[in-house]
Amino acid sequence: MDALAPIYVKVLLHLRLPNPGPPVMRATSILKLLCATAAIVLCATPHVGAAEKKTLGFAVTKWNTAVYEGKFMDECPEGLNPSNKDIWWSKLNWEQRRKTPDILATQRSPWNFRGEHGEDVCVAPTSVKDPPLRIVKGGVSFGMNLDGNTDGAATAKTCKHENFTGVDGTAGVDNQMYRLFGCVYAWRSNGHIEQNANSHRLSSGLGMILIEISDVDDMRNDDHVDVTFYRGLDPFATDSAGHVLPFSSYRIDMENGKPRYGDKVAGKIVDGAIVTETGNVHLPFFGNYQYMNQEIRDLRLKLSIAPDGKTAKGDVGGYYSVEQIYRYVSGMLGAFPNTTQFSCPGIYVAAHELADGYPDAKTGECTMLSSAFKLEAVAAFINHPEAKPSQQAAR
Amino acid sequence: MISTKFKRAVLLAGLALGLAACGPKEPQTAGTPLGIRRLSEEQYRNVVADVFGTGIVVSGRFDPMIRTDGLLAVGAWNTSITPQGLVQYEEMARNIAAQVVSDANREVLIPCKPASAAAYDKVCAEQFFTKVGRLLYRRPMAAEEMTATLKITEAASDSLKNFYDGVGFGLARLLVSPDFLFVSDVAEADPKNAGTQRLNAFSKAARLSFFLWNSAPDDRLLQAAEKGDLYTAKGTEREVARMIASPRLKTGMRAFFSDMYGFDAFNVLEKDATIYPAFGQVAAQDAKEQTLRTITDLVLKQDGDYRDLFTTRKTYMTRPLGRVYEIRVTTPDGVWEPYEFPIESRRAGIQSQLSLLALNSHPGRSSPTLRGKAIRTYLLCQRVPDPPGDVDFSKFGDPDSPNKTARDRLTAHSTMPACAGCHKITDPIGLAMENFDGAGTFRTSEDGTPIDSSGDLDGVRYDDPVGLAKALHDSPAVAACVVNRLASYATGQPTAQSDKWVNFLREDFASNGYRVKNLLQRIATSDAFVAVPPPAAATSTKQASAQ
Amino acid sequence: MTVLLPKSAPRRALLRGLLGGGATTLALPFLDCFLDGNGTALAAGAALPVRFGTWFWGLGHTPGFGVTDKKASGPGIDFLTECQALIPHKDKINYFGYFNTPLDGRSNYTHFSGWVGSRTGTAPVTGDEVPAPTFDLLIADVIGTRSRFKTIDVSATGNPRDSYSARNTNSRSAAEVSPISFYARLFGPEFVDPNKGDFTPDPRIMLRQSVLSSVAEDRQKLTKLVGASDKAQLDEYFTSIRELEGQLALQLQKPEPNLACQLPPKPAETNIDGQATGVLIDTVKSNHAAFAKLMAMAVACNQAATFNMVFSASLSQLRKAGESANHHSLSHEEPRDPKIGCQPQTSWFNARSMDALAVFVDAFAGIREGAGTLLDNTLIFAGSETSFARVHSVDNIPVMTVGKAGGRIKTGMHIVGNGDPITRIGLTMMKVMGVQVDKWGTKSLQTGKTINEILV
Repeated sequence: MDALAPIYVKVLLHLRLPNPGPPVMRATSILKLLCATAAIVLCATPHVGAAEKKTLGFAVTKWNTAVYEGKFMDECPEGLNPSNKDIWWSKLNWEQRRKTPDILATQRSPWNFRGEHGEDVCVAPTSVKDPPLRIVKGGVSFGMNLDGNTDGAATAKTCKHENFTGVDGTAGVDNQMYRLFGCVYAWRSNGHIEQNANSHRLSSGLGMILIEISDVDDMRNDDHVDVTFYRGLDPFATDSAGHVLPFSSYRIDMENGKPRYGDKVAGKIVDGAIVTETGNVHLPFFGNYQYMNQEIRDLRLKLSIAPDGKTAKGDVGGYYSVEQIYRYVSGMLGAFPNTTQFSCPGIYVAAHELADGYPDAKTGECTMLSSAFKLEAVAAFINHPEAKPSQQAAR
Repeated sequence: MISTKFKRAVLLAGLALGLAACGPKEPQTAGTPLGIRRLSEEQYRNVVADVFGTGIVVSGRFDPMIRTDGLLAVGAWNTSITPQGLVQYEEMARNIAAQVVSDANREVLIPCKPASAAAYDKVCAEQFFTKVGRLLYRRPMAAEEMTATLKITEAASDSLKNFYDGVGFGLARLLVSPDFLFVSDVAEADPKNAGTQRLNAFSKAARLSFFLWNSAPDDRLLQAAEKGDLYTAKGTEREVARMIASPRLKTGMRAFFSDMYGFDAFNVLEKDATIYPAFGQVAAQDAKEQTLRTITDLVLKQDGDYRDLFTTRKTYMTRPLGRVYEIRVTTPDGVWEPYEFPIESRRAGIQSQLSLLALNSHPGRSSPTLRGKAIRTYLLCQRVPDPPGDVDFSKFGDPDSPNKTARDRLTAHSTMPACAGCHKITDPIGLAMENFDGAGTFRTSEDGTPIDSSGDLDGVRYDDPVGLAKALHDSPAVAACVVNRLASYATGQPTAQSDKWVNFLREDFASNGYRVKNLLQRIATSDAFVAVPPPAAATSTKQASAQ
Repeated sequence: MTVLLPKSAPRRALLRGLLGGGATTLALPFLDCFLDGNGTALAAGAALPVRFGTWFWGLGHTPGFGVTDKKASGPGIDFLTECQALIPHKDKINYFGYFNTPLDGRSNYTHFSGWVGSRTGTAPVTGDEVPAPTFDLLIADVIGTRSRFKTIDVSATGNPRDSYSARNTNSRSAAEVSPISFYARLFGPEFVDPNKGDFTPDPRIMLRQSVLSSVAEDRQKLTKLVGASDKAQLDEYFTSIRELEGQLALQLQKPEPNLACQLPPKPAETNIDGQATGVLIDTVKSNHAAFAKLMAMAVACNQAATFNMVFSASLSQLRKAGESANHHSLSHEEPRDPKIGCQPQTSWFNARSMDALAVFVDAFAGIREGAGTLLDNTLIFAGSETSFARVHSVDNIPVMTVGKAGGRIKTGMHIVGNGDPITRIGLTMMKVMGVQVDKWGTKSLQTGKTINEILV
């Protein structure tokens, strides 16, 4: 230990120097090391922490709707939902079924055009009455208590709905998005909707979400940090096995000198995890050939950084517009007419019924779904236009 | 037409030379034994690109050179061509020739049109070979060589009923001939000093251009040789100044430093993709390029002090490198940006860049011994003895042992007297670089235990890699080493520490601020560079040295 | 039988080029009397050629885990865990144990002295010296003149410098490392299928020959200009020129129909970059397997009569993905497992090497030739550079031969050397393959004693 001491002292001296450039990120790993040794006393010395404001960056590699799956699929007592195709098929008589090959020879995905007047049921979801969507009936869900109550009663900003108990035991969890999609095969862990979307972003570099945590004084506990969400312009760098590499640099998408995205929420660091307050946040999206500028109202994020600082996992809660989610769902069907296992009219109707947030001023009907997402991210350097090299990674 | 910029460069170089001339006088030396050496792979590629353009693809395997006295370039003087190697050369010659005479290239590369494309045309063929043969053979072709080449060309044109195919066979003959594949020194009687010999002008031109450019002489240098300018000090100085001012010097120095620092190992460098996922093929290429850029920038562009290479924090960066260094890179993919390591990065000098760190490590972990050995052999020109044959290492690597860090393991190792001697030479250097893992990424601990990066270099103690950088900078061996290597590289002969000429160069290097360009000029214009021993002794002594 | 050499008879020149190299005398190409006539004839009536090759793996065997030691030479080899894969082939193998590599006080340059001693007959004085030609080249000088390529060097490790065949320190060829480019060289457009009815000599080959003859005429001019040591360099070059001329001459003759020769399928890309590089055990295994098939067919198609295959380097860098230790570092650092009595991971790599040898042997045994298989008409010398890698021992280096060499040798024998120099094996190989040599090697490695127990 004696032999090591001079190095640490030297490093500390560096940290105390005012630095006009970008924050010195390496400091954190040195701090970590210090904490790991008997020099922990030094770690707590106030002037060390006051020396630097740090900034952390992350690029989101996976963005999934948080779907809780019970061991025996108890949450879906009616089973999983039939698809557009299944519903179409179930309504054909034997003669029609026998003629299916002929129909298919002349018409592409006829199951999409089963509206009363042959409308595309995804474009015109009210043109046919489908059996009601099989929704989640379970009592447990991922997510957060967004409305503050535990009984699901209506408030000024919400409509009456049923609450869940969190997977971690939290009472009053609001997650109507899960209720909507939890019994749709495509959204479950073996479904392909979210996997597709994640791999589309990986391969295209489109719809990249960057998260920047700035104004960090203390990596373990800090009562105020800023969390900003950007759209990145650079694709992921991957290793030879296709895994996203940490510590790549990403440019921010700018428009007229300002970030095109860039909503900021305040937050704090509690025992090494970043927890934000609520705020309305716009996020880019690309996946399943759909682009979206998605708005999540009352978004809150909890982000846990891995001990090696290379990756992070996060939970996002907030209200998601029914109109927006339906646009995504219906648009997707054009891309995957044969394999998407849900019915557009079923989802359309259920989404409106389940909406529990932001009642329409005129009708009083809620327009948004309480929702929860899980994200995975890698450490990243977020390059503001004025960024200069020479910053080291935070660990 | 000579540009003003060029004139100024020549003038400055001349001025430097003039000033240097005020220093110590070059001692009389016996000269370098004559020899022949095989073109290296890079030289072969450079010459083909210089003569026929970079669009000509050269693909094939080259017999390896054996590193001799620290340099592959010295090994070249003992290397021949195996039967298997010749099969490759013959194939390459045919491929290159076919590309040169192809429809796409003949317009540009063949200076004339035959009377008929279907028949032999002596005039046009001779015109082509006169031009190309001089560049490939580094001297005008002799009459009988031309006759032999035209004979092949005619036979092939007739047989294949195609002039261009015929020229292709003639060109293949040049490319597979020993006059092209081997650079041979030719001496002649020195008319100024009866009974002595001198290197003939074309051999001198070739020696200069392979030394400074790693390629064959260009047209102007050959002209200077033809006119006899290279026999005069003034003419030589003018040409050397021109060559040093040329952008091709960079190619030459990249080749030299790649050789000196063992960068040939990049060809087979492999890192474990699971342990070092960011260190892929592109990062490896960029790592080599980064160090070469650092060197040419400091040594050529800035004309800086060679010793600063071991302390400089200035370099160039790309995104793939940024991911291994774990630093921000602002330019897009594929673009190099200037970069300066911050002080707290603990990186200073090329020995702390990924190239040397990753090359001298194992695929899955660092190696203080390999790194220490690399610094000793490549940077300080010292010899580290081979390991003994009968050591049982098992007790140092036991995962259950308390030896968590490399230092612990090596300390245990050094308790064995048979090992201690060498490890004492290598490890205190290599352990100072333990803050960098097997790919070169910074770390502060290994297996949860903090890393102690202190050590000493020949009595100079330091606490971390930056201290090592300073110790290297100040070590007289560092400057002496590059002088030795450049002198051997220039002449193809191993140099002895006691060599009078090398001593002189060393002093000159120091008194001129350790500037490599100045040293190059000094070597290239010195008498020893071209001196030939008297006829009786002129036959090479290199076999003795190679044993 | 026609000896297919060009009219300009390069043989003398060839020999001139080689003299002064090794401590051996050379004979002209091998004598037909070595052929025994037992089914060793091609369909067209010509005698089947006997081929020779080497197969190298690094780091030997763990003592007591390769074979059961024997007290005296005799038939029957008892292969143990590291050699499990060889059991099905044991009747085609000879195992040589307890042959030593005395270094006469010279250093044991680790992972170097062992192979240099056993292959050149002389212990090296420095850690990079190859003091004499390796014996495979002496055999190639004799039997390699009648195939398209004199010899083929291949390494499965991705490193072209992993080659254990050299004329001298400075004359080493680069090994082929990519099955795809190997295929292109051997079976590309210049390959002449012996079983195709029509054959027109390619005028381009004649022109290539005249290019080489024309170059060869420069010899005198150049030799005059240079000193004695440079002359050796030029001699080697001109020998190479003459040999290539001879090989081109072969291609101007209609090849004998050869039912064993069938154009093999093109190998698949071995990894995403199309580069067959790397020392990951899986990559090396699949590279080696691809090479084994191509090599066997190259030999069957008379593209080469001698060959050198390297499975792993002497300082074997083989490793498993994600492991920081490789075969070599494990051999030194892995603790011995007291329960099984060896270093388990090191032993695992040793066993994988023997798996690969079995794959190689399978490739040769899988080609029908005459009344037997290609393996029957081939002699493969399989050896390593060390016996117990943990302590770099060069005594009792495991050596095996595989194949019957056209009936010239017996197989299935376990030969006990009792500390005799390992060069006895090389000497025997040379004799069997028709090299006229009575004594081979220097100092304590010199021997004149062949291993008669395996000779027919």
